[in-house]
Amino acid sequence: MKISEDEIRRLTLEAITELGDKATPDLIKKVVSKSVSSIGMLPEDKLSDNLSSGRIILTSFGLNSPGIIAQITKTLSESKCDIRDLSQKIMDEFYTMIMIIDISNSPKDFKDIQNEMNRVAEELKVKIFLQHEDVFRYMHRI
Amino acid sequence: MPYEFDEILETIKMTEIEHFDIRTVTLGISLRDCVDRNIDVTKQKVYDKIMRFGKNHVKYAKEVESTYGISIANKRVAVTPISIPFDMFGMEDFIEIAKVLDKAAGEIGIDFLGGYSALVQKGMSNGELEFIKSIPFALSQTKRVCSSVNVASTKAGINIDAINMMSDVILSTAEKTKNEGSIGCAKLVVYCNVPEDNPFIAGAFHGISEPEVTLNVGISGPGVVLEAIKEIGSADMRTLAETIKKTVFKITRAGELIGNKVAEKHGIPFGIVDISLAPTPAEGDSIADILIAMGVEDVGAPGTTAALAMLNDCVKKAGLMASSSVGGLSGAFIPVSEDQGMIRAVERGNLSLEKLEAMTAVCSVGLDMVAIPGDTPASTIAGIIADECAIGVINDKATAVRIIPVYGKKVGEVVDYGGLLGKAPVMMVRELSSKLFVGRGGRIPAPTRSLTN
Repeated sequence: MKISEDEIRRLTLEAITELGDKATPDLIKKVVSKSVSSIGMLPEDKLSDNLSSGRIILTSFGLNSPGIIAQITKTLSESKCDIRDLSQKIMDEFYTMIMIIDISNSPKDFKDIQNEMNRVAEELKVKIFLQHEDVFRYMHRI
Repeated sequence: MPYEFDEILETIKMTEIEHFDIRTVTLGISLRDCVDRNIDVTKQKVYDKIMRFGKNHVKYAKEVESTYGISIANKRVAVTPISIPFDMFGMEDFIEIAKVLDKAAGEIGIDFLGGYSALVQKGMSNGELEFIKSIPFALSQTKRVCSSVNVASTKAGINIDAINMMSDVILSTAEKTKNEGSIGCAKLVVYCNVPEDNPFIAGAFHGISEPEVTLNVGISGPGVVLEAIKEIGSADMRTLAETIKKTVFKITRAGELIGNKVAEKHGIPFGIVDISLAPTPAEGDSIADILIAMGVEDVGAPGTTAALAMLNDCVKKAGLMASSSVGGLSGAFIPVSEDQGMIRAVERGNLSLEKLEAMTAVCSVGLDMVAIPGDTPASTIAGIIADECAIGVINDKATAVRIIPVYGKKVGEVVDYGGLLGKAPVMMVRELSSKLFVGRGGRIPAPTRSLTN
């Protein structure tokens, strides 16, 4: 977040009134720069959290067999991915599973996790798609 | 769960089954600062600039592709219309510049680069005259360079002299690339009211009012719209319109996201989303199939123009809501060779050039990828271009002609380009002459519509 010159001027005037007699140019500079940086930082963190979360959506489907979710979650936990939500449906012998995963604490990046999941998908002979959450948010939320 | 099960599956179905992809991310680069008295210095400057901004273009696009699970079919580059900064050069120099553009495009790993262009709707400078003469040579001696020339606008009228020149250029290009089915003409567009931020090749260029560099996106998705229409069966027009709008809204949103992310990676401003529905020769990725699903027996049947007009209007309404920066051509494309359904309609004799012309009045972009007999006279081609320009000028819209007089081929024969360009059945052209009309030369004055102030 950018702070306009007007706002800085306002902060400086406020600091001068607050400090009263104690006000020296150095002290005012210190106070103002401290409050500017704290204003600047707080909303920015929130903003980036909101705009681009570390959340990805994993969709998997194929022929149902025991151990599919176990294998997927095991691989995810090895990469320190946090599973935030999980939902699945079974129709006859087919299953569909959707997971919301937070990868922000994982030492691996999106690409690595995607490669690992491709390996798992091949092993289990199912389909696994990994997509950043934003694409669903853009398409299905106004 | 913040998303419904069905919503997530709908997106997966679009990308995995219904051919939904982003058709193109096009990097626009200004070449206005690349001019030098010495042609060799100019060439080096052009090469350096394209390499500087474009070298990571394919890489960035691929990264975004894998993060969002939406494929980007084409990564392309558009440059300032070459005739503008390099106006002082001669024909030979322009050909040299085309070769440099071709080389740079090859090295950054893209298939086509647009911007070998000129804007001559009101008249030509000496440089532009030289430039137009160079087009057949440039297109036959390069693989990746695409050319476009704007010959008419609502504000300026129709430059018949330029149209006559371009008809000769088209025939000459066809002849010079005769061993590859006159493919040079597939890289050459004659425009009316050309948009300056169109990301779609072959007509893409980086307009003179654009910033230093910018990133524009062209979306696709006929397959997605087709499936949605099939699902609602025989519902009434209102429901049909609603369904098309909802579907297009979603794909435009995805386009906006992808465009923003690629631009972010480049660290350059995001330009526009071109919301055109663009077909490919792949089965199920066809505008013609959408028209048939809407209820006409085949493209060319009475009602086709109305169906297309409705489709095009729904695309615009949904796109405008989905993106704050809609630009480019933004309509529905009806190229013949790049759309299985259109090819079929021509082969069955259901679609004539005249019906196609009527259809271009209600959508973007014009007579696109239309093959005609190689012995068609230049004056007839000029007449066809003039007709398209008239539609554009009077309706204040972009129209274009990308016509291929296939050297040595006759009506009924087929020329196959493979890949995205597809295959084109040679269409019948009326043998009535327009020679005396276009032979008058000069410029058709701007219509009353141009006086809007």
